[in-house]
Amino acid sequence: MSTGTPIDVPWRVLPDYRCFGCSPSNEHGLRLNFTHSGDGIECVLRVDRTFESYPGVVHGGIATTVCDEIMGNLLVLKVGTSVFTTTLRTRYLSPLAVGVEYRCVATADAVDSPPYRAYAEITDPDGATCVTAVGTYQPATPAQARERMDLTDTEADLIESALADLRRGQ
Amino acid sequence: MSDDVISTVTGIVAGEFGLPAADIGPDVDLGSLEGADSVKVLRAVAKIERTYDIELEDDQVFGLKTVRDAATLVVATLAEKEPSGGGR
Repeated sequence: MSTGTPIDVPWRVLPDYRCFGCSPSNEHGLRLNFTHSGDGIECVLRVDRTFESYPGVVHGGIATTVCDEIMGNLLVLKVGTSVFTTTLRTRYLSPLAVGVEYRCVATADAVDSPPYRAYAEITDPDGATCVTAVGTYQPATPAQARERMDLTDTEADLIESALADLRRGQ
Repeated sequence: MSDDVISTVTGIVAGEFGLPAADIGPDVDLGSLEGADSVKVLRAVAKIERTYDIELEDDQVFGLKTVRDAATLVVATLAEKEPSGGGR
């Protein structure tokens, strides 16, 4: 059950944060907003014809992207480090329709040691499952994150500070 | 074959089809159940995968006819996941 409490993902400390999945300032992106949901997090997904596949059908890659996005962010919030997807498996049960509001919920196994494993499920307004996904993720050290991402020193410090807050449970 | 696996799979199928578990014998053709369609079968498969933390291949999934078929596949897949042991 969603508690409705909005979640600020750590990337929002970056002035020019453009994540395709969750940045509010990427006009071409999905602009997903996450809220707490039990031990996991959830988001609402409703897309227009920009992300269409067959007429009226949401492109399957978008559904997979949403699942990857929410699972990755859940693990970042739990672990307090950046994570990178290593495997991702999606099972499509029924197509998503353009303009319909779906719910996506992510949960994760215990995050004692990597690789971390997470699950996502997209359900329709009647609660029927449309998509399931499972992914595994590897954490990145600050040095690895710095090497893989295009960050200035200031931006790297901002991100690491936000992640450190998560590790301290703030 | 573990009765537990058949019982769990029957419960999952019953839930997805909206039918009493008692109406779904292990050898009943899933395609003959009231309101049967491939999406319900896939939803049951997704729930089975999550319940047992396994990943079933599509060529196996689309060959499933009965609860017993599904339970047999679950048991075989779980057995493959078991570490074989024996050291390096």
